[in-house]
Amino acid sequence: MIDRTIFESLQSKIDEEAAVRDELHEIVQTLARNGRSTTAILSRAHSTPSDQLKPVLDEATKEILAQKEQVTRLKALADKHPFYKYNGVWTRELQNLVSSIELCAYLGGLEEYKSNSAASFLTIEEVGKFLDIPVNLKEQDAFHLTIEEYLLALISMVEELSRLAVNSVTLGDYARPVQIGSFIKDLFAGFQLLNLKNDILRKRSDGIKYSVKKVEDVVYDLSLRNLIPKGSDNA
Amino acid sequence: MAESSTQILSIFETFRNELDEHHDRRERLIKISRDITALSKKMYVSPIFPSIFKVVHMKSLIKIRKLNAPLPENITKETQSRFTQIQSLFNTALPDITGPNKWRYQRQLSGAIQEYIEALSFHHYLTTQTLITLSEVRAKLPAEILVTEEDYLLGLFDLTGEMMRFAVTALSAGSVASEEKKMGLSKEQNGIVVDLREMRSLFEGLSVSRRHNLIKDLGKKMEVMQGSVEKVERAAYGILVRGSERPAGWMPDLAGGGDEGY
Repeated sequence: MIDRTIFESLQSKIDEEAAVRDELHEIVQTLARNGRSTTAILSRAHSTPSDQLKPVLDEATKEILAQKEQVTRLKALADKHPFYKYNGVWTRELQNLVSSIELCAYLGGLEEYKSNSAASFLTIEEVGKFLDIPVNLKEQDAFHLTIEEYLLALISMVEELSRLAVNSVTLGDYARPVQIGSFIKDLFAGFQLLNLKNDILRKRSDGIKYSVKKVEDVVYDLSLRNLIPKGSDNA
Repeated sequence: MAESSTQILSIFETFRNELDEHHDRRERLIKISRDITALSKKMYVSPIFPSIFKVVHMKSLIKIRKLNAPLPENITKETQSRFTQIQSLFNTALPDITGPNKWRYQRQLSGAIQEYIEALSFHHYLTTQTLITLSEVRAKLPAEILVTEEDYLLGLFDLTGEMMRFAVTALSAGSVASEEKKMGLSKEQNGIVVDLREMRSLFEGLSVSRRHNLIKDLGKKMEVMQGSVEKVERAAYGILVRGSERPAGWMPDLAGGGDEGY
């Protein structure tokens, strides 16, 4: 004899879970929509000389703050459930946001959240402080930014910076490629410390060397022609 | 810049240690999961020679032809020792699945859990002719082990495969032609066909949202389950129509697809 109530209770569990996913998804969609605006604004950096970046960064910061509000909503909802059960629903958008935050910070925005204003990036703790979320929780089952998410965001930022190095030259800025080159080489060295397995982090971080090479080629072209201004880093 | 290089390196050293811990935990759990899977599969079948896999399966089952009755002593003893081994394997996983890690490594263990549920529910069905409930499954495992509704459901899907093999064997070994001259299966033989049909319709009645995790496994499982139910229905049909023409001790060939063999 097959007990039908077994399937009835399975169905209600399935429905419950689908409802949670829908609710989370709704927030993530808003987060994604704001994220696209953030990215669009930040991409103007590719065609804006660095001394005129301020308004771009201000506008980007505004969008990033709007995304932060969604993260706060997301956290409130996600905290009611096991973190890793639904983490997949938002991880992608959270990575994109962190990557925008890092890029904005590198370009000179979000100054008040950096440990010192000369720093080129925010540490995972600083990102957590800015978004008002915990990071790398190991004991507690609650919403947080994971190390993997942070690292994947840094990789996206590196890719964007290698593109910026090329475009800086077009804008007549010959110093920035050198700065970018030295920064992403530092990050590359960091990633080489990691023992990566065959996972997404491995696949994505394999791409960093191409970004590094792209920037090195630009720096090489510039130095060959004596175009690098005196006093630039590593010049 | 030199300062920031050292800062970056020290940050990444911390990350490296954390990631190493994560990979170690993950690998330990995958290993445990494999061992449990292997043991669960051994519960009723001997997987040593894949080609005779099913024959061995049937031969060990043929001893247990009656549903809803205790298993023969030697089989009880063997399965009991396997269950104990599996439970102790699950215990070794516990230190790695504390706190948030319970869900973090859910996928690493869920394969093993499904296999275990398959074995457990088959055992349960043979002895009681009912489905084991999720809370009964949970009670058979350490409380810290996460048994999701998905694992349970997917385990039940796999159970239909075991029931199919059992049913076809039981049907062919049954006493339709010899003892009861009138048409129809014995009550026992009919029971499992009815149960399978009922399960099929209940499985098919489930509606799963597109966004649900289950959705990726569901299609395939559904197909296999439907195939199993059909095999049993055809077997029942074949036994009734042609049963009397079979030589004593004949066994159907289960290795092939759904259509031949009956």
